[in-house]
Amino acid sequence: MNNYVNNTPNEQLLLVKMLRVMFPHKNFCDGPYEEAAEAVINAAKSTPGQVIILYNGLRELETNSFSTLDAVAATTYLKGIEKTSFFASVQGSGLVALYNNHEVWKKLGYEGPSFDSGGYLNRGFNDLDWLPEPRISEYEEENDQ
Amino acid sequence: MKKISKDESVVVIVGSGAGGGTMAFELTKAGIPCVVLEAGPYLKHEDYVNDEWEAFGQMAWLDSRSTSGSWRVSKDFPELPTWIVKAVGGTTTHWAGAVPRFKEYEFKTLSTYGKVDGANLLDWPITLDELAPYYDLAEIALGATHRHGRPPLPANNNYKVFANGAMGVQYKHYATGPYATNAEPYDERPGSIQDGFNFQGDKNGSKWSTLVREIPRAIKTGLCDLRPESQAVQITHDAAGNADAVLYLDAEGNLHRQAAKAVCVAGNSIESPRLLLLSASSMFPDGLANSSGQVGRNYMRHLTGSVYARFDKPVHMYRGETMAGIIADEQPHDPSRGFVGGYYMETLALGPSFLASFADPGAWGADFTEIMDAYSHTAGMWIVGEDMPQSSNRVTLSSSKRDKWDLPAANVHYDDHKNDLAMRAHAYEKATNLYESVGSTGRQLTPPYPSTHNLGTLRMSANSEDGVLDNYGRAHDVKNLFVSDGSVMTTGASANPTLTIVALAIRQAEYLVKQLKSGEL
Repeated sequence: MNNYVNNTPNEQLLLVKMLRVMFPHKNFCDGPYEEAAEAVINAAKSTPGQVIILYNGLRELETNSFSTLDAVAATTYLKGIEKTSFFASVQGSGLVALYNNHEVWKKLGYEGPSFDSGGYLNRGFNDLDWLPEPRISEYEEENDQ
Repeated sequence: MKKISKDESVVVIVGSGAGGGTMAFELTKAGIPCVVLEAGPYLKHEDYVNDEWEAFGQMAWLDSRSTSGSWRVSKDFPELPTWIVKAVGGTTTHWAGAVPRFKEYEFKTLSTYGKVDGANLLDWPITLDELAPYYDLAEIALGATHRHGRPPLPANNNYKVFANGAMGVQYKHYATGPYATNAEPYDERPGSIQDGFNFQGDKNGSKWSTLVREIPRAIKTGLCDLRPESQAVQITHDAAGNADAVLYLDAEGNLHRQAAKAVCVAGNSIESPRLLLLSASSMFPDGLANSSGQVGRNYMRHLTGSVYARFDKPVHMYRGETMAGIIADEQPHDPSRGFVGGYYMETLALGPSFLASFADPGAWGADFTEIMDAYSHTAGMWIVGEDMPQSSNRVTLSSSKRDKWDLPAANVHYDDHKNDLAMRAHAYEKATNLYESVGSTGRQLTPPYPSTHNLGTLRMSANSEDGVLDNYGRAHDVKNLFVSDGSVMTTGASANPTLTIVALAIRQAEYLVKQLKSGEL
């Protein structure tokens, strides 16, 4: 049963397009979407039930020439299937994989693990300079507990 | 570590988090031998990882559970009602660190608010005055900033936006604490290095947890037998109805029996009532200590909600102590706002992995990517307020779902009360105004995450018909059975509960020591 979905170039292409339409970041390259597509396939392989959902979903995309739709038409198409288990499974595992991707973190301006670099104590935890320095102590009248 | 015979009747503590860990230290310090049964593994600070999903997989309580009710968590995360920890140190290894005390009126909500339709309000059987000395002890143990001479943490970027926004809407009660992470070295713990990882375990050991303080100190007394990967599954009792042992499973599923002279249950507000329900017997047909029928009822999880605001300029909210920013201006009870009780605003930051999953679960398309594209220019806050105790919000044993040991899993049912909805709507609006006052260009109103504050399912009551426990957290029905976690809370108040759990546990331990030393138990 697991052979029904094989991470073939065509399956990859359909899933990458689907993920791009779901998460349309203009400045992301294909790499993170491709890795997310692979993660969707791997997650589905955990149970035969999921494989069948993915297999049928991909066939539907093919039948409806999803790969040829422009961005607006593709979005409309996905809107029409967003209540299906197929959509939910691609959205669920695709989202986790896409935003757990270190290349994506970099694009979004997130620096990832910090402990080994000594945290942010000397690396900008308080470098915001477009607002005045606020008070950090408690309001004086409130020591009434 | 001390090895205690399974036939020796000792105090058996179930759980090693804020309540259980505190009990273990306070009791062993007073010369009382204890066995601590911890369901999770003994993770150490060096085991933690600075990665949201990997840490979640390592630390979170992921055992089988189910949900029901109208709360959105049940739709988005039907098998994950909570986000709490299964490891030595419990959820203190994951908590952020905000430690306000409960207010005087929050111990008397029925008297203060009056009867609220659909809510099962009740005054606590203790007052703030009675608890105040123990709050002092708890703040000293936790090293709360802004208290007892401990200096405040500095402002991080997220706090700068938050506090300036507070000023922008004429709030006064903002500060970087009280917060239980060291600004400078204290009590054998170093100062914070502002690494931004709180929910993933603190590798630096600057944050208070029972893993860093109470558990090692309890072990050092030579009187504590800590047994990780030991999940309590039943409390048994003798013919007189007194608890006499705890049955538990080791990692391989082998069943063990530890004799008990007293039992302190501190498994957090889902597992604690589940354990009492699993302990039903012919003498206690509805579950141990459940003559009131209140075991598992009145489940509270705090109001909660988050607001992520976007700006033209960078913020980098993830740098620094996650929750070292508290605003108390909306905390006081002011029914003119259209609801009873109040709420705090507290800084909050998630990494992109978790923000993507929790900002608006299920969302996709251009509106969603706008939230993510603005990540480095986003400031965040959490809203935490009092939710109403409702009799029908409850933890029960599932009739269909079972855990991997074939024991009934917990089902967590929760419906938002209309007071909760009114408070959340108010808080979203106030938070939006706050961020707009410092130039925010857009915001995401984020629904509650799986619950981190789980309260009230074994509540204390003056009258044995209204609740499960007396004013020391001892079961009305079983004189040597105590509950030592957030389940004991009669109502939930608005503040983060850990400080109060610790204060109550210190008070309970003092009482239990007296009972044991005087021979009453």
